[in-house]
Amino acid sequence: MTNRIMAFVLGAAVLAAAASAQDSQLPVPSPVEKQLAACASNVDEVTLSKNMLALASEVMNTNGDGKDEAAIHHLIEGLDGIYVREYDFDKEAQYSMEEIEQLRKYYETSEWSPVVRERDRKTGESTDIMVKLVNGKSRGMFILDVEPREVDIVLILGPVSMEDLGTLKGLAFLGMMSGTHHTGPDNARKKDGDQ
Amino acid sequence: MDELECELREALKRQPAPSSLKRKVMNRRSVTQRRHVRMVWFERIAAALILVAVAGAGVLWRHQDEQRRGEEAKQQVFTALRITGHALNHMNQQLAAHRRAAQE
Repeated sequence: MTNRIMAFVLGAAVLAAAASAQDSQLPVPSPVEKQLAACASNVDEVTLSKNMLALASEVMNTNGDGKDEAAIHHLIEGLDGIYVREYDFDKEAQYSMEEIEQLRKYYETSEWSPVVRERDRKTGESTDIMVKLVNGKSRGMFILDVEPREVDIVLILGPVSMEDLGTLKGLAFLGMMSGTHHTGPDNARKKDGDQ
Repeated sequence: MDELECELREALKRQPAPSSLKRKVMNRRSVTQRRHVRMVWFERIAAALILVAVAGAGVLWRHQDEQRRGEEAKQQVFTALRITGHALNHMNQQLAAHRRAAQE
């Protein structure tokens, strides 16, 4: 009897460890993000683990009248996690280039290969896109988009390609949402799916 | 004293039980037993109904909770994809601007 209880406890511990390992793929926020969030007038933070993505897929309308949701369902199917941060600033130069460089280095590890590295010295704008390749297949994408009044961090883990993300252009309601997302400093939103 | 003894003897004299007594006792016993069995069944059915109701409520609550969490996660997916779309658009604009500048 004692052996059975021990085996049950051990099994539960293994399952719990496996579940937490699944979530641990998502990065721990870098210290720079806290600094950026402190200066930003609007912050959007989204952290979605595989389980949360599966939960979101379940409620998506994939019938004929929900074409956009069906496309998103297809896009997020099989992903291991999504980590997105958007910092909006009231004024320009509210963050330093050193902070951006620290942020870039934090995410730039050996397993990520740069695809796009765009710099505009006049405006200070830059875009970095990196992909994680495993056996020649894309297993993740990282985007760091820096604008004078905005910094976006996008980390998508799992099988995703630029072609898949290209379908976002055709999704009308995402465009509609972009017109409504800017809020004042008092309404800074924080979204975290795993909390 | 004799009179009292006589009365006592008369009172304690063995008398045969009426013939209907056994039937009456047995009848009453079976009625009580039947009532007890009915009560036990009633209790079992009531307990089963309560269990089913509690389990049903639990399943319903869990379903509604998952639905709510799923809706929240869906909105977060939309937000994440909106930001991703914005970042990709910005990159496209930058690339297009560079291309134009290179052509000029």
